[in-house]
Amino acid sequence: MILVIAEQQGGTLNRTSLETIAAAQQTGSEVKVAVPGADVSAVAAVLAAAQVAEVLCVQAPALEAYTLDGYVAALAQVVQDERPDHVFLPHTYLTRDFAPALAVRLGMALVTDCVGVRWQDGALIAARPMFQGRLLADVATSGPALVTFQIGAVRADSLVGGGAPAPMRTVTVAIDAGAIRQKPEAPFREARQAVDLTQAERIVSVGRGIKEQDKVEMARQLAAAIGAELGASRPICDLGWLPMDRQVGSSGQTVAPKLYLALGISGAIQHLVGMKGARTIVAINKDPEAPIFEVADYGIVGDLFDIVPAMLKELQG
Amino acid sequence: MHPAEIWIFRFVFLAFIGAFGVQIATRLRLFLRASNNIRVPDGESGVRIWRVAREVILQSRTIAERPLVGLAHLGVFWGFCAFALFTTVEFLRGLGVADLTATAWFATYALLLVPFALAVLVGITGLIIRRVFVRPPALGTSVSKESVLIGFFIITLMVTFLLDFTLTEGVAARVNWWVHELVILSFIVVIPGSKHFHLLVSPITVYLRSSDLATVPNLDFEREQVGLETLKDVERKQVLDAFTCVECGRCQVNCPAHATGKLLNPKTLILQNEDALLAGRMDATLADIFEATALWQCTTCGACEHHCPVGVEHLPLVIGARRGLVSNGDAPDVLGAVYNHLERRGNIWGLGADQRQKFVQAAGLEIFDSAKHEYLMWLGCAGSFEADFQKSLRSLFEILRARGITFGVLAKERCTGDVAKRTGNEYQFQELARANIEDFRAAGVRKILTSCPHCLRTIGVDYQEFGFAVEVVHSSVLVAAITRDVSVPVTSQVTFHDPCYLGRYSGHTEEPRTLLQRFGASISEPARHGANPFCCGAGGGLLFEEHEEGKRISQERFEQLQATGAATIVTACPFCSIMLKGAQASANSAVEFVDLMTFVEGRLKTVQ
Amino acid sequence: MKIAVCIKQVPAHDWQPRVNDDRTWVRDQDASFELNEPDAYALEEGLRLKEKHGGEVVVCSAGPARVAQALREALARGADRAIHVEDDDLARGDAFAVAESLASAMRDEQFDLVLTGLQSDDQGFAQTGVVLAATLGIASATIIMEVDVQPGAVRVKRELEGGWFQFVTLPLPAVLTIQSGINQLRYATLKGIMAAKKKDIRKVAPPAGLASRQRIVSLYVPEKKKHTEMIGGSPAEAAKELVRRLRDEARVIL
Repeated sequence: MILVIAEQQGGTLNRTSLETIAAAQQTGSEVKVAVPGADVSAVAAVLAAAQVAEVLCVQAPALEAYTLDGYVAALAQVVQDERPDHVFLPHTYLTRDFAPALAVRLGMALVTDCVGVRWQDGALIAARPMFQGRLLADVATSGPALVTFQIGAVRADSLVGGGAPAPMRTVTVAIDAGAIRQKPEAPFREARQAVDLTQAERIVSVGRGIKEQDKVEMARQLAAAIGAELGASRPICDLGWLPMDRQVGSSGQTVAPKLYLALGISGAIQHLVGMKGARTIVAINKDPEAPIFEVADYGIVGDLFDIVPAMLKELQG
Repeated sequence: MHPAEIWIFRFVFLAFIGAFGVQIATRLRLFLRASNNIRVPDGESGVRIWRVAREVILQSRTIAERPLVGLAHLGVFWGFCAFALFTTVEFLRGLGVADLTATAWFATYALLLVPFALAVLVGITGLIIRRVFVRPPALGTSVSKESVLIGFFIITLMVTFLLDFTLTEGVAARVNWWVHELVILSFIVVIPGSKHFHLLVSPITVYLRSSDLATVPNLDFEREQVGLETLKDVERKQVLDAFTCVECGRCQVNCPAHATGKLLNPKTLILQNEDALLAGRMDATLADIFEATALWQCTTCGACEHHCPVGVEHLPLVIGARRGLVSNGDAPDVLGAVYNHLERRGNIWGLGADQRQKFVQAAGLEIFDSAKHEYLMWLGCAGSFEADFQKSLRSLFEILRARGITFGVLAKERCTGDVAKRTGNEYQFQELARANIEDFRAAGVRKILTSCPHCLRTIGVDYQEFGFAVEVVHSSVLVAAITRDVSVPVTSQVTFHDPCYLGRYSGHTEEPRTLLQRFGASISEPARHGANPFCCGAGGGLLFEEHEEGKRISQERFEQLQATGAATIVTACPFCSIMLKGAQASANSAVEFVDLMTFVEGRLKTVQ
Repeated sequence: MKIAVCIKQVPAHDWQPRVNDDRTWVRDQDASFELNEPDAYALEEGLRLKEKHGGEVVVCSAGPARVAQALREALARGADRAIHVEDDDLARGDAFAVAESLASAMRDEQFDLVLTGLQSDDQGFAQTGVVLAATLGIASATIIMEVDVQPGAVRVKRELEGGWFQFVTLPLPAVLTIQSGINQLRYATLKGIMAAKKKDIRKVAPPAGLASRQRIVSLYVPEKKKHTEMIGGSPAEAAKELVRRLRDEARVIL
């Protein structure tokens, strides 16, 4: 039996949990899901729609806000009671915080950031990247293990739905609130005076190819459509078409977003060093020789005044 | 002369010479307590003596840039030298040691001095008018009272000399003589404390000036040298430079930082040094004395040293002070990032070696094999990672292949350390240099070809201090040598931007022009060109500093090149290209840029 | 404040890893090594805290003899002394073995604060810091952007998903894993390098009975490599295809 620890915050399910459940289903084992919190009934109902054996609502008032000690105490109890073969979790900011401590408490191994699992002679082998993605490692553990899954490694839409909702069971865990060492405050978003592109998950960036100041509006619309911040190469800021705090480059901001969409940017080296760390780079430029294509994951050679409006239509349609 | 007169003269003479001596002693002490960095490499003394003859006696540098002023000064200077014997004879008379004034040879000599005296009068009058009424910016905003006084002294000396021919005996003659002697003695007293100290010091500093620009020897870590931190650390040559400065302002007017409204002013630097030394501020930090901001604005273009007529070397002072700052962790943040890149990835942008590898493969380059290849092609950081410059390198490779030159590249390169050296990170420079030299030696490299003038200077000159000396040549020089047979009719009009490190530093101003003309370009030159170009603004680590005080140096230079009216700007350095293209982009201009090698290759194809 | 910074020496960033014969590790005999970059940010934070609050910074690392080079680099940047758990196998050990060995060397020192990087650039499990805390029985918090020392406690800013942050207060002693890029790394100055030669590196043997809980059974090159996908067609077609790829393949837009 594989126990999946799902994640919720403030009554909202973290949807990466569904990917993890899918991964557990794909092993062919029986799957149970546990979700910790103060009152998780709503979230549990969502989870129960998947084809799993059982959904455990792991509840205690002390679990209202996430703390390492609280979660480790609660989940250790659940794992000890349920005795799964392995425990799967999504590789999130939260699990990075508590999973190792949970592993120490349970005396189990922990293999993080996995992209897949398979069975070999009855033992679970987890595959995960090493050396910054240059190699993959098949890792075997002695005995039951905690396994965290890389976000996006398993597709959430491969989750198998159950016909009828799975049974839900409330597990009340006894947690000594006084023994919890962490005192968390409420999560917040930064109140930003200046634009901080280094925190942006997506950036749409404009270069000289945008030709005129009023064409920047088109890029702005594209950015809004995909939930991105607006960035620029140096000439655009020098010309005053966008403020200096939007400049990406070796002396502007160095960014590493999930998505960097470069519109009409040639890719001069001063700009390149400011954005080459982006996970996915898209370049749209009229010049097929533009250096930006060297670092792009996706490229379109063409007129951005045709392509960007078409993209907007596609995104909004 | 009356005996009483002689005794008075002796007393006066002693007093004035004593005052002179005390000042000399102070300065001598400052010189002696500084650490001795004076070194004339073996075999160079002959060359240097010849240099003193040209620059001091013939005043070549003062005349070169400012012909009229230079000639006026030449007149005054030669007059001064010619009068030396006259002054000596009069002193001997005044001191009662010997009276040679009645001899025949002296009478002849005095007559021969008359044209000199006239030359001096014309010269000094012209110079005073220039200083007081024309007021060129190089001489500063306020008129130097000291200079006017000296000018007045010199006029008085010549007038009293000439008057002496008409006044033979009597009170007038005696008064005339005493005026002459008092003025000379006053002049002597004023010399050490004024810019006229150069009369004594400049032949020395001209002799001691290094043959290469920016000669800043390696730090010796065994002896725990860390660079110049406080005034105590300033070295002997720099003390001499402080005293020899004539405040002519040639360094100031040619400095690109000063020209674009920045704090840095090379003339101010030298005078600040002098003031601090004389005020005894030995424990003050150089960052305080010169202001760290100014120190970090220097592009190391070398215009200051290149123009100085009295042998002042500004760059060892700037770079030495930078070393002191860097050794204490006080480099600007933007350079700190560069040092991290150099340390982690061995190149200035922190990019991965696989990117270089992609280029090596795509360009079909062979790995250097000393048995097969004549030249090691050194790509450098720009050649390894900068897509634009790589296009020009591909042009170079085509030219070399077409002309049967064999070359290969190293499997792995690391930065030559140019940026580290010029910004004062000696430790990193030496690490990189030693590692590179080891690789060169292991590969059996005898000739290195590079398209980057900074690599040219660093490997060709700075690496020699580690005992590594091979032939290092810039692509423009080699290509000029291997295309002598070609001639293409003129079809385009271009302007050429001389890289500081190719022209001023390495002396190669002709070869690029030869190439351009040979391959069908007519060249429109901006005012600053050839051996006196205006920097693009990338050197000295400023490539990375995009927020400049005042006007961007690159913008200023771009406008100068644009003003020539040429449709195309030709560059021969990857960093000049990056800076000027950046200026073009920010100016939203459509001027064409082409690298020299791409220009040549394009034309070469048409004749083959 | 007595601050420990745990660092790891990893193969140089641009070293192309090649798998060894039995496919259980890489041929690191011909690699050059460097200080793990995330740990450099932890070290920088530790040095800044020392500058602010006084005390000392002790760098700790486990691994073969060559690890001393990374420790010297940390000393050159300003750490005061170092502890080296010397053992050849710990270079490829898992977080539990490494944490156990570090804990045994560090326990008696009674550090107020222990800082580590988020993860190592070689194995990248991102566990050692938290496992170390649990082994030492002290509190921990991860992905820390800011550290504010208070009497007997530390208030830290944690990074959460999607641009959210959270302040948490924990009692000292504590372990914090520091987010990369939160500060400008200082470079080792000449004076620092000279001084580092005289600083103390205490060598410690690892405890007996160290056990890894996992092992690598196979190391291999993944099929996908980075290349540029050029999308052709008319502007409308290309735009549509690009949006599809970003949505379904790269999964960077919703």
